[in-house]
Amino acid sequence: MEHKFDIVIVGAGGGGLFAALEAVRTNPRVSVAVISKVYPTRSHTSAAQGGVNAALGNKDRDDTVDLHVFDTVKGSDYLADQDAVEYLCGQAPSVVRELENLGAPFSRFADGTIAQRPFGGTVKDRCCYCADKTGHTLLHTLFEQCLRRGVTFFNEYFLLSLEHADGDCQGVVTLNMATSAIEAFVAPVVILATGGHAKMYWNRSSNAAGNTGDGQAAALRAGIPLKDMEFIQFHPTGLRKSGLLVTEGARGEGGYLLNRHGERFMVRYAPQKMELGPRDLVARSMETEIIEGNGFESDAGSYIELDLRHLGAEAIKKKLPQIRELSMHFEGVDPIAEPIPVRPTAHYSMGGIDAHMAKTAVRGVFAVGECACVSVHGANRLGGNSLLDILVFGKRAGQEAAEEAPRRKALGIPPGAVAGMADEIRSYANPERYERYGILREEMGKAMGDNVGIYRVEGRLRKGVEEILALRERFRRIRLFDTGTVYNTNLIQILELKNMLDLASCVALTALARQESRGSHFREDFPRRDDQAWHLHSLCTMERDGDIRLGHKPVTMGKYSLETRSY
Amino acid sequence: MRYAYFLSCINESMTREVDQSLNLWKKDLDLELVNLENGTCCGGSNLDYVSPDHFIIVNGRNIALAEKMGLDLVTSCSTCLLTLRRAKHLLDTSPEKRELVNAHLADEGLRYEGTSDVKHLLWVINEDYGLERLAGKVTTPLWGVRFAPFYGCHILRPSSLLGRDNPAAPSSLDRLVEAVGGSLVEYGSRNKCCGFHTLLVAEKQSLAMTGNALEDALRAGADYIVTPCPLCHTALDAYQDRALSGRAVAGNIPVLHLSQMIGLALGYSKEELGIDRHMVAA
Amino acid sequence: MERREVSFRIYRYNPQVDRTPFYDNFRIAVEKGITILRALNHIKEHLEPRLTFRAFCQAGICGSCAVRINGVSKLACTTQVWDELGGDGEHTILIEPLNNLEVVRDLVVDINPIMDKLKENYSWVKPAIPQEKMGRKEHIVSDGEFEAINAASDCILCGSCYSECSMMEVNRSYISPPVLVKAFRMNNDSRDTLACERLERVSSDHGLWDCAHCHKCMEHCTKNIPIMDGIHRLREEAFERGMTDSEGARHAQAFFDDIRDVGRLREVTLPLRTKGMIGSLGMVPLAVKMGLKGRTPPLWVRPIPDIDRVSEIYSRLEASREDAAEASNPSHGRTPLSPPYPVGGK
Repeated sequence: MEHKFDIVIVGAGGGGLFAALEAVRTNPRVSVAVISKVYPTRSHTSAAQGGVNAALGNKDRDDTVDLHVFDTVKGSDYLADQDAVEYLCGQAPSVVRELENLGAPFSRFADGTIAQRPFGGTVKDRCCYCADKTGHTLLHTLFEQCLRRGVTFFNEYFLLSLEHADGDCQGVVTLNMATSAIEAFVAPVVILATGGHAKMYWNRSSNAAGNTGDGQAAALRAGIPLKDMEFIQFHPTGLRKSGLLVTEGARGEGGYLLNRHGERFMVRYAPQKMELGPRDLVARSMETEIIEGNGFESDAGSYIELDLRHLGAEAIKKKLPQIRELSMHFEGVDPIAEPIPVRPTAHYSMGGIDAHMAKTAVRGVFAVGECACVSVHGANRLGGNSLLDILVFGKRAGQEAAEEAPRRKALGIPPGAVAGMADEIRSYANPERYERYGILREEMGKAMGDNVGIYRVEGRLRKGVEEILALRERFRRIRLFDTGTVYNTNLIQILELKNMLDLASCVALTALARQESRGSHFREDFPRRDDQAWHLHSLCTMERDGDIRLGHKPVTMGKYSLETRSY
Repeated sequence: MRYAYFLSCINESMTREVDQSLNLWKKDLDLELVNLENGTCCGGSNLDYVSPDHFIIVNGRNIALAEKMGLDLVTSCSTCLLTLRRAKHLLDTSPEKRELVNAHLADEGLRYEGTSDVKHLLWVINEDYGLERLAGKVTTPLWGVRFAPFYGCHILRPSSLLGRDNPAAPSSLDRLVEAVGGSLVEYGSRNKCCGFHTLLVAEKQSLAMTGNALEDALRAGADYIVTPCPLCHTALDAYQDRALSGRAVAGNIPVLHLSQMIGLALGYSKEELGIDRHMVAA
Repeated sequence: MERREVSFRIYRYNPQVDRTPFYDNFRIAVEKGITILRALNHIKEHLEPRLTFRAFCQAGICGSCAVRINGVSKLACTTQVWDELGGDGEHTILIEPLNNLEVVRDLVVDINPIMDKLKENYSWVKPAIPQEKMGRKEHIVSDGEFEAINAASDCILCGSCYSECSMMEVNRSYISPPVLVKAFRMNNDSRDTLACERLERVSSDHGLWDCAHCHKCMEHCTKNIPIMDGIHRLREEAFERGMTDSEGARHAQAFFDDIRDVGRLREVTLPLRTKGMIGSLGMVPLAVKMGLKGRTPPLWVRPIPDIDRVSEIYSRLEASREDAAEASNPSHGRTPLSPPYPVGGK
């Protein structure tokens, strides 16, 4: 089966939905399809609790776009491209107000303006929020507006490949999950908005089960480079048992991090910002405390306490209701009465599809949000900047796509692309295969967590690379046990694992290559930032035989030149 | 044990046997019920749509009448129970609403303070009187009689306002059945909706709900359905023929009010308890 | 760590191979603190790769994994295995797909009907601000107004209320609780301009007035949204806007009138007043049969002794309502909505 659209958007999180909305608003005559492996409101945008940064000046009247740019560039450890950051921060106030205008239920100050709270790594309080369900409400608002505008959705379609003819976009090949039919979507413009890939750390990750980097992997296989893949953000406060996230809003509202001596140890690492230092610094500080034996011990591993009790029951109930619920469901702890056991968890992938202002190397293919590396987050993302990223660049991609689509010729997708996919899927069921999904996936999570985690060093990184490459080899013998065609989740698991393994090799290889410490990438053997040798974006491209080749690309600088990053 | 007794409209008209039965045996349990003669209809979860102010004042007044007597308010109707308890909850949590209500009650010499609880007869028997005590009073145990307890909705949900039973697995009526010697059948519809509240606006669908519950009880082999609510009773009894028509299940099933079931166990006859007035013969 | 052998009795159905649905039993050792979803994942990875269910965020915010656990619709990811064990050493947990939706396979149901109904019922804000002026200015919204829709905006469209709803069970065309929650949420948003049309749409056949008040939606909402309160508010709004030409509204009006006139419900004429002359004809045979059993409501209802006091309350309220109407700007088409009681709060 073949579908034809002017624009196909893959992914229905905030980035994909805003792109769709903006495309139909910019040019109502273009046909737009949104393809998603989950129903739109289930996308991982819903899990973003804390908020979205914009220099509205509702709280700190003297806040400016420039200060937001500075915070973001500094937070990125000077690896962000400053043209993109300027655009991001410059658009922030209007894009947040636009969401407000469209019905997003933001929390309010007493004067009725959008409320703003402090967030890590910023000099002003500029994080706009809706209690602790900001992503959820933004996602639903965008979904509602897409329904209003009659956007066409293909829900539960899995991206198999991105097709292009010598750098001109042809469309995508997908798997209809309900029927296992392979369906091609011919489109001169494709926007990839498939979310992040930090689930490769599996149970050491706060991510949804489906954050497997499907768009990144498709782009990689289609010859588009991936950028800065070594940069994985570890969120400081994952719940001890599940890795689920406790929003930075909990620290923004005044929560304390305590070691087992009852000490607010951040005083030794970031005496000014304390708990509100940038994420990489706080996560590393916690990990250091744990390694040095200052953590609390438990069956489920060592941990740090996040203490909210002094905020009072009212504030916790009103401002952090989801956090309270999560703590009670998953740790059996009511933060009104007890501190929450937390430790760092893989949370966000700064790296992704190499894109300049959302455009990729293939004409007609855009990439936005966490699947892309624009790069506005550089080596470390600030809290409250990821929702902003998907809104600003989702919108921009939608608008440009709508302008570009009518000018571009629709190129068909060669039948071989569909047939090739069908062969590959059939081969998984070959009874001579024996490797099991669950085992390979566990080993992948462990290999990444043990060797490519918060603290990195050459020996372990080499081991990580070897293990991941060995797992990729074993994947060739993976067995699909479910041979039915109706809603075959076993098949989806295998396809996702394939994507994660390809991307994990990129992460491990670039982490091994980068011989410096910058942002979230911390090398014990190279503990300093080395701007001379490494003020560069890393690139990964895939060779025909599947090998990953590494390359580099300069960082776009601007107003702010290199400085030491301290908080 | 002394209570103010809320006169439910339906028990004053279509299901008079509820209070008729209760009035027969209440003396046997030394249960003193003072009828709330000046109480009004609770509004049957409809009044507040027309006017939330009327709803809160009228029901604040009903409860204030009981407060004036210094008694808790008891009802035999689940919808009256929920409506009154909802009003009570709103008044107990909102000083503004209390002020509004009391401004309108002053002329009548009434005042809502929140001192009287609102209870269902089932709760009074189970908790205040006690099932062991009741079992001791039973003269005609209902041995061998298989009951399908039908709780309905408004004595269970929302649990935030009612909070006696777990709505997913209620047991208070089961325990009462056992106390009077009856046995229980397992069936899934025990906590489902009888369809009464939409009988006049979505008749076909409501009868389907009624029919599902009846069919379920019949298939479980029950001799009787017993219910704490006269509205459930009306749907299950008066509408039974229509609700079961066209269904692949034979026969009918008589429906008892809980006040009638207790009456039987205390030795009263079906005629005395008005069971002969039901549409489905028992 | 405490461990137990637990049996999971799981609904299975693959339309490609199974003539009818069946139940599979999986007995596994489970550690205390494990969620139902983790148990399902364990079964899929170690015992039965064909077991089919949805799951995504694993944190109770995406709504994918709603299933019926021991007969009640819940999120598998936030439900502890330990909480579902019977108290009497009964260690079997029943897992079934959501109710009122077609089963695609095993625990996966087709949720498109929910999406379609959201679309049919204007489940979005239609902003007052024209497209070209978007993003320039924020609305000033009081915190109170935010609080009024705060709980309703928690809905994750998991489908649990849809599965629990009594009316859905007998009428798949019924509008359904999540769609009514959205309507409540939109209609109480001052930034929206579609309230009248939306309310008219949701009040049409199989709509707002067909809710049977069973409160199952609210009881089993996975995000603790007081859904029934939202439905109540929509019905109140229908009266505030004078949209009273429906059986449901006429039915409610009858209660209002009867309390004013006699203090009690005049049941004998209730069908006539709700359904009209023609509509009530179908009830005549039942009325005759009930009459023979002495179950007819009295033709004349004796007023309560102090009916005058009640009538006075009505008169005073009527007078203050007229005052308020005079005081407000008649050109302002919409009565400001202030919830009569807090909607929400957890």
